[in-house]
Amino acid sequence: MVDDFHDAAWLEKTRAEGDVAAWLARVPYARFIDVSASPDTEGDGMVFHLEPQAHNIGNILLPAIHGGVVAAFMETAGTLDLMLAARAPRLPRIVDFSIDYLRAARAIPTHARCSLLREGRRMANVQVTAWQAREEEPIATARLHFVLSASS
Amino acid sequence: MTQDQQSAEAIGPGPEAWRTALTRFVTFIPHTRELGLEVIGVVPPEVTMRLPWRDELLGDTSRGLVHGGVLTMLLDTVCGSAVLCGLPSPEVCPTLDLRVDHYRPAVAGLPIMASARVLSVTESVVFTEGTLWQDPERPVARGIANFMRLGPRNTPPGFSEALFSGTNDGANGHG
Repeated sequence: MVDDFHDAAWLEKTRAEGDVAAWLARVPYARFIDVSASPDTEGDGMVFHLEPQAHNIGNILLPAIHGGVVAAFMETAGTLDLMLAARAPRLPRIVDFSIDYLRAARAIPTHARCSLLREGRRMANVQVTAWQAREEEPIATARLHFVLSASS
Repeated sequence: MTQDQQSAEAIGPGPEAWRTALTRFVTFIPHTRELGLEVIGVVPPEVTMRLPWRDELLGDTSRGLVHGGVLTMLLDTVCGSAVLCGLPSPEVCPTLDLRVDHYRPAVAGLPIMASARVLSVTESVVFTEGTLWQDPERPVARGIANFMRLGPRNTPPGFSEALFSGTNDGANGHG
């Protein structure tokens, strides 16, 4: 298997290069809702972005991004950020996910930044904050638990 | 028809009218319209839906596993739809919070079934619970979602009528 998450050499190489775009390109639903990532200018991690594509809308009157799409974006961000920030190249499997909606997500770009709060031998806890125009006004916060397995 | 269905009928639209109304609802939501989400059945306050398979739902292509975010999106939608039929009359209720437990991955090639019901309604909150499965014996995920009641005053005029009459002004999904 080549150029794939289950190819340990490829995972290690893309991780060393911080090539999150290569990872996103291999996640069909993340591509469908149009997630991207760029280096965090205020730190050493990544900032993730969700484009306000027409098919991401959940409420056409406001209009607002579908809350479930915001959640999927934040889960994607949390997963890939963990793969980058973890001590070793490992594939996380999601155990549970919790999201608090703070403000309606308008039809403009959404951004997210993640913190790895705990990385144990088997479990990780990741916190994700999403915002739109102003980072001081988050639209949602989420936290995720993952089981970490060795890359194979 | 069971006693329960009869009493539901007595106080509001019957299951078939609800199925049509919620089909209209998920068709007004651009994301679920794009994904072709179907309403299978409604027995207020419980709703069952079916998300047909398509490759865009994948999270892990080589192992053929569904993206976890698809499951969250589906639970948000099915729980939010249950809210509509769990209230005295449909109100626009944004999601306050949502928690998803992933029991096992959903796999490629099969539709994902979703059902949700309203557990409790207070003046300001609607409490719901939803389940997803591909094989009814093996649930894929469980979700708990709470929705804010903004009240009839913040629901667009004609929202309920639009759900049930077929004119789509006003019945435009949730955020």
